[in-house]
Amino acid sequence: MEIPSGAVRSHCIGNAAVVYASDYLNKLTGEKIERECRRQLDSGCRALVIDFSDTQLVNSIGISILLGIIDVAEKNDAQVVFSDVNSQTIQLFDMLGLTRHVLLAKDEQEAISNLSGFLTSPIVHQ
Amino acid sequence: MNGSDSNLTSRRILGRVAPGEFVGRVQELQRVVTQAAPENAGRGMLLLMEPSAGVSELLRQAYDRVFDQKSDVIPFYFAFTRAETTAVSAAIEFLNAFLQQYVAYRRNEPDFCHASLTLQDLVELAPVSDLEWVEQLVNSYKRLRFSNDDKALVRFCLSAPQRIPARLGRPFVMLDGTQLAEHLNGTVVLGTEILKVFGRSHFSYVLAGLRRQILEAAHEAELLFEEVDILRLEQMDSDQARLLVENVARRQRVSTTEEARDLLVQQFSGSPFFINLILQAARDTRRSLTSYLDCERLYVDELLGGNIHRHFANLLEEISPAVESRQELVRLLWEAIAGGQTLVAFDALRKRLHLAAEELENVLHRLHVYEFINWDGATVEAGGGPQAWKDYLKVRYRLDVLSEPRALVVADALTDALKRAPHLMAQSYKAMARLGLRELLSRFDCQRVPAALFDNALFSQKYKGATENEVTSGIDAETELLRLPQTVHVSSCLGFNSDMRQVCDEERCMVAHTFNEGSYTDAQKVIWLAAEIESKLEVESDLAQLWCDRLESMAESLGLRRFQIWLLSAEGFSDEANSLLKLRGALGSSRRQVELLSGRVGGSAVSPVIAAPDGDEFLVVVPMGEDNELIAAGAVEQIASRLKFGREAINQIKTAVVEACINASEHSFSPDQKIYQRFRVENDKLVVIISSRGIVPTGLGTYPGGSAADSNQEERRGWGLKLIRTLMDEVEFERVDEGTSLRMTKYLRHSTS
Repeated sequence: MEIPSGAVRSHCIGNAAVVYASDYLNKLTGEKIERECRRQLDSGCRALVIDFSDTQLVNSIGISILLGIIDVAEKNDAQVVFSDVNSQTIQLFDMLGLTRHVLLAKDEQEAISNLSGFLTSPIVHQ
Repeated sequence: MNGSDSNLTSRRILGRVAPGEFVGRVQELQRVVTQAAPENAGRGMLLLMEPSAGVSELLRQAYDRVFDQKSDVIPFYFAFTRAETTAVSAAIEFLNAFLQQYVAYRRNEPDFCHASLTLQDLVELAPVSDLEWVEQLVNSYKRLRFSNDDKALVRFCLSAPQRIPARLGRPFVMLDGTQLAEHLNGTVVLGTEILKVFGRSHFSYVLAGLRRQILEAAHEAELLFEEVDILRLEQMDSDQARLLVENVARRQRVSTTEEARDLLVQQFSGSPFFINLILQAARDTRRSLTSYLDCERLYVDELLGGNIHRHFANLLEEISPAVESRQELVRLLWEAIAGGQTLVAFDALRKRLHLAAEELENVLHRLHVYEFINWDGATVEAGGGPQAWKDYLKVRYRLDVLSEPRALVVADALTDALKRAPHLMAQSYKAMARLGLRELLSRFDCQRVPAALFDNALFSQKYKGATENEVTSGIDAETELLRLPQTVHVSSCLGFNSDMRQVCDEERCMVAHTFNEGSYTDAQKVIWLAAEIESKLEVESDLAQLWCDRLESMAESLGLRRFQIWLLSAEGFSDEANSLLKLRGALGSSRRQVELLSGRVGGSAVSPVIAAPDGDEFLVVVPMGEDNELIAAGAVEQIASRLKFGREAINQIKTAVVEACINASEHSFSPDQKIYQRFRVENDKLVVIISSRGIVPTGLGTYPGGSAADSNQEERRGWGLKLIRTLMDEVEFERVDEGTSLRMTKYLRHSTS
């Protein structure tokens, strides 16, 4: 049985998936994002944009789940971009060293344009 | 005395507490009162009490209830006491008390129960309709009293309730402390006589006393067990005992805290007897019990010279009347406990105590009745009894046998008790947090349940990140079902392999003997080996492997042919661990899966969450979980705004509060599942204190250094504290009796406004 992804919104632009985080990023909402990201990667996405435009508050468990998503994306040779992150959240990401592992974009449009080069490069099968 | 029904139901006659104040034994009280009902006429009840489980107030409350029912049942309560030294004097006291309570009941004047009345007074006070038989009873007694036939006199007194003319009602006799009757001197064995008289009577009765002694006496008196009901009275469970402490403390006007209350409950294992003793002592000495130190100071005083000391000293004197052998007995019992050598040979004991075989048998029998030892006639197993008994033996040993200075013994007893207290509480909180494996396994009875409840990989894949409703409806719609076996026996794995004690708690690893499809054949017999792994995070593959190896090794050593390993962990298992479980043919479940399973096999195995009380404007109390940290964050946002903190600073405080709440939830076995937040506004700063009850693991308050993003999953969960320290200006941990209080300060800076 397929469980709907609940409150997580997402859509695809080419090979990139845009996943929207909710107003509070905690364990439950983090797991929802993780689930959606995994689903998108399994469907062949090669880049993930996580949009934080609605996000007011994040906690450390939510951040640890984001790191898990970055790990999974790396294993799948996929790129991760965080877009529209407020300054308070960026401060937290900085404190925990998260910003060293992802690209930050002002908004979704900038995220997609940053990824355009990556997404158009051919997939190399070894 | 007349009164409305409501007045009558609240009337206190023999009870020492008002009916509304009597807590913790509601079902037992109902069963005793029901024994007086017409359908139980002629049936007896043996109320088998675990030592110090407290039975007297239960019977007195039952008396008051039956008295107030004003039916044709005439209640009579009699307690044997150590003040009576012979069977004859106890029997005479029985007769006197019976007539007094009878007249009180017939006249509906409860005060007569407590009056000082002679037999002649009672004859004169008897209602006209009773005068004839009461007068005959008293006259017959007077004749027998001087006949020198003790046995006849004792039997006559005990059978007095039988002499009530049927037209006037039927007696309901409750005898308390029946075991004491055994020790009365004289030619008549009163305990046996009581059982003989009552066992052959046609009225309802309750005989209450120590379980081992009562059962033994019942067998000796050849009681017809088909005609008696058995009610077992054990220590109170934690909830009931907490209620008892609160009620007694209120009545005795003793100040307590929840922490002190819970410690008393655990330290005395829910014994109403000891709880009453300690609170009585607190009142007598005008001491409050608001910290562990208060409790243990009073406890040690009690051990060395108070009510607890007197209780055990009296018991020891009763058990071993000769002073010299008593001291040697203390030595033997304590050395057995301290050395862990609990099995002692009968002959060795006889030589050490310098007692004849018969005398030693008497001593051992009494120790056995009080459950300080187990004695089957051949071997003696020492080391039993409550913790207070062991502590008492230790101080007596050090004072009387080793002649150590009293001040040293007192100081050591106090420091030992204080060191033990947090461990005791940690054990109880861990017990509360357990998944309830034993009960859950015992309810397996061929039910069909979703297979996903035993497959953590499948469950995570389908339901991770799903809401409660989605999980519930998803599980309800599952079509792949697993038929549970029927469990016929469940026991802790420690019963099969004591080495397992080194790696798990008794209740966290179970061996369940089951039959598939309820078919009792070798082919269908499967032994379930279930273990609850303690972990705050998903269990990784190495730990899962270790447990699989452990349980397989146990299965091999027990010669189990068909077994099923089932591992449980609160947060489930990592992907790698799930793959390993599949490879090993083991089942895996998280707490959520167990909760769902429990709902499908009947009952609730997981401990309920207790609701939070009200808070005032600067004290916010929220239940753990359910994103309730956001409520705290919202409150602190309002308060910080009043102080004119800037938006960035407010966000930092909110994040710190959220992290502190998560820490409080994650790092303690909290008994009340609440988070307490105090927000204090001072001139140029906001002080936030977040606390929770529970035992906090060592190492909390430190956090891993280096780049957080490079750390592993376990370390990542320690980020909360790192964030708090970065976001707030001052962070301070304060350890309290139980749990931790986190104090965070943020200074108001105009540059951040």
